[in-house]
Amino acid sequence: MTALRERLTSWEGFLLLVLVLLYAWNALASPVFLTLGNQVNLFQLSIEKVIVALAMTFVIINGEIDLSVASVMGLAACSFGWLHGAGVPAAAAIPLVLLLGLACGGFNAFWVVRVGLPSLVVTLATMIAFRGLARVLVEDRGIGGFPAWFNALGQKPLIGPFPFAILLFFAMAALAWVLLHRTVFGRQVTVIGASRAVAEYSGVDVGRVKTAVLVASSGVAALAGLLFAARVGAVRGDVALGFELDIITIVLLGGVSIFGGVGSVTGTVLAILIVLSLRNGMALANLTGHIQSGVLGVLLILSVMVPVFRGWFQRVLHRPEAVS
Amino acid sequence: MDAPLLELRRVSKTFGPTRALDDVSFALRAGTIHALVGENGAGKSTLIKTVTGLHPPSSGSILVDGQEVRFRSTAEAQRAGIAAIYQEPMVFPDLSVAENIFISHQDRPPWIDWAGLEREAAALIARLGVALDPSRPAGELTLAEQQTVEIARAIGLRVRVLIMDEPSAALSEHEVGRLHGIARALRAEGVAVLYISHRLEEVFALADMVTVMRDGRHVSTRPRSEVTQAGLVSEMVGRDMEGRFARTPSRATGQRVLAVRRLGRTGVFEDISFELAAGEIVCLAGLVGARRTDVALALFGVAPADRGTVEIEGRPAIIRSPRDAMRLGLAYVPEDRRKLGLALGLSVEANITLPRLEAYRDGRGLLDRARERADALRFRDAMRIKAAGPEVPVGTLSGGNQQKVMLAKWLNTAPRILIVDEPTRGIDIGAKAEVHRILRDLAGEGVAILVISSDLPEVLSLADRVLVMREGRLVGDLPGARTSEEAVMRLAVGAGEAAA
Repeated sequence: MTALRERLTSWEGFLLLVLVLLYAWNALASPVFLTLGNQVNLFQLSIEKVIVALAMTFVIINGEIDLSVASVMGLAACSFGWLHGAGVPAAAAIPLVLLLGLACGGFNAFWVVRVGLPSLVVTLATMIAFRGLARVLVEDRGIGGFPAWFNALGQKPLIGPFPFAILLFFAMAALAWVLLHRTVFGRQVTVIGASRAVAEYSGVDVGRVKTAVLVASSGVAALAGLLFAARVGAVRGDVALGFELDIITIVLLGGVSIFGGVGSVTGTVLAILIVLSLRNGMALANLTGHIQSGVLGVLLILSVMVPVFRGWFQRVLHRPEAVS
Repeated sequence: MDAPLLELRRVSKTFGPTRALDDVSFALRAGTIHALVGENGAGKSTLIKTVTGLHPPSSGSILVDGQEVRFRSTAEAQRAGIAAIYQEPMVFPDLSVAENIFISHQDRPPWIDWAGLEREAAALIARLGVALDPSRPAGELTLAEQQTVEIARAIGLRVRVLIMDEPSAALSEHEVGRLHGIARALRAEGVAVLYISHRLEEVFALADMVTVMRDGRHVSTRPRSEVTQAGLVSEMVGRDMEGRFARTPSRATGQRVLAVRRLGRTGVFEDISFELAAGEIVCLAGLVGARRTDVALALFGVAPADRGTVEIEGRPAIIRSPRDAMRLGLAYVPEDRRKLGLALGLSVEANITLPRLEAYRDGRGLLDRARERADALRFRDAMRIKAAGPEVPVGTLSGGNQQKVMLAKWLNTAPRILIVDEPTRGIDIGAKAEVHRILRDLAGEGVAILVISSDLPEVLSLADRVLVMREGRLVGDLPGARTSEEAVMRLAVGAGEAAA
């Protein structure tokens, strides 16, 4: 079967192989690794990042970048804390914060789509601005004391051993897969990233699709910020600081091209699993956080080289075709 | 006779199981222009890559001045005096003409003598019989001028064999003339020019020798005086193509589909009025820069007009975007298929279904991939698109097949008015005949077709009517059956009287 062969020799196939080896190595190195408790814990610690990575997959395939996601996470968490401090009930604060997230995305989209500025510049600016806003809201304090049911969302198992956020992640991953690979919208996201001019000449409403992607990115980031607040039970001005780099690293490692037009949700999910189990495995082996960061730095370089690997990998495994 | 400058002896090149070059032998002599012709896929590009060191031959040998050579890179080939230029010039747009010319000269001192550089650049350009300011950024130049820069770079490297791969495909008539002048100047200096072209008129005007390739094999090498156009064509395609440009009687029903009145866009085109009937093929002729594409872009809503009206099937039409145009039954097949026509990294089927993706939603709102595949296969069969499968990236197809995919993409929208922009530029003769057949069949089905073409034999063989544009204005409306290349050209260059 050529289709099967193609699948096994794709970048996703390679990631799967790496993941299996990593799991085998970790399982041999530590008896704890494969336990359900550890697997849940491994996800739990980074759940906000991996949720945002799903949305970032769309942004980068669309040929844009969103550097402001971590600041939106921080702003969402802090404005939730601020509303809580001002006496607004959590049940009312949650939708307000989500709306604020969508508004942040709308603000990014305005400059990128309407004005035509590069998203790299726009979201770099809003990364600073949104973070500043978050710090203004909570100043130097930590705000906590949220209702128990809210903290439970991030801390207590909901079904079996799985907390709400993990279940949400898998539901969102499935939704993202369907959206990207099985809908008109997903196809348009890919085509615009592959060639904006071709999409325009084909009657695709490029502005609308780009707006939707950027708004969704901030919306999901706001949701992730709330999950962070629930899991930690308190917020500070530096919530999720620097997360955007980890998120982008994961997405690029997953085989999404930084130039747009290429990538899959499967790739991102596999990359998430690789990064999480790598970190977890190193932690179990008592490697310090600094070494973990170093290894992830190497991973970032490798992930930027994905296009090179992809070509090399396919040349080795596929018979070269004639070029006339 | 002295030893040839460059000789190929029984050269073969295989990629896996495919033989891209099969036992090719021929020789190039100093001071000749040697044309290489053949359909797409005949092995011309592989031949160039083999000779310039990009792909070493799998077997056989390459000789320079009778000595066997084995290049491992294009730099090695360049040092031996062999260089190639391509249809799309490769210049650094932000560097000046002079910098571009001397970019690969490694034998210069480590400091840069700017004045000297520009003086030498100017001298090289002058040798080509062209005037060009060496201090201008290359990005500001026209395609033809960028090509001149590339050629100057090559002769600056004391090139002895210059390979030109379809250099004229994207040039206007006037620029082609100048390019031919350059090729002749190089010949006079003793350079061997290997000139690859699809345009037989050009081959006959320019070449001393003609080599034909087909399916990776060498078919013949003869002096130009011994070949005829018909003989060449049948050698290229391996079958007799007599009558391939035969005219078919017009099937126009007379029912008016499109009426354009006094259309204008400030500074671009003015006062464009014409009509298009169902089943009619109208060709829009003119020189490059006559603003024909701009009229098409206005009709398709990419760059809307400021003035004038458009009526489609008797109703006034307001077209502000491609979406508006598509809703009204218009389709526009652009000339630049790599930038505007096709998403090369995406599959054949994803490209074909793109303009009417909404129609492939199933009951649940998801894409019906089986139906996408079925439509792609239907077009592949109907248009004889050669592709390994509908799931392969469209960029892996040959130019002619990409062109067919682009047509399929737009036919998939079932347009009533089809505008095609240079539909056969840079594709081989076989694919060209098939594109013509497809357009005629469409006209037979009642589609109104506007063809923008700079290829006069094509215009005359396809058109029921010929519209001629010059400098943003419509200067002629000629009946296709009773016009001639000369009549069209006179109007296009502004030398003739306005026709009725």
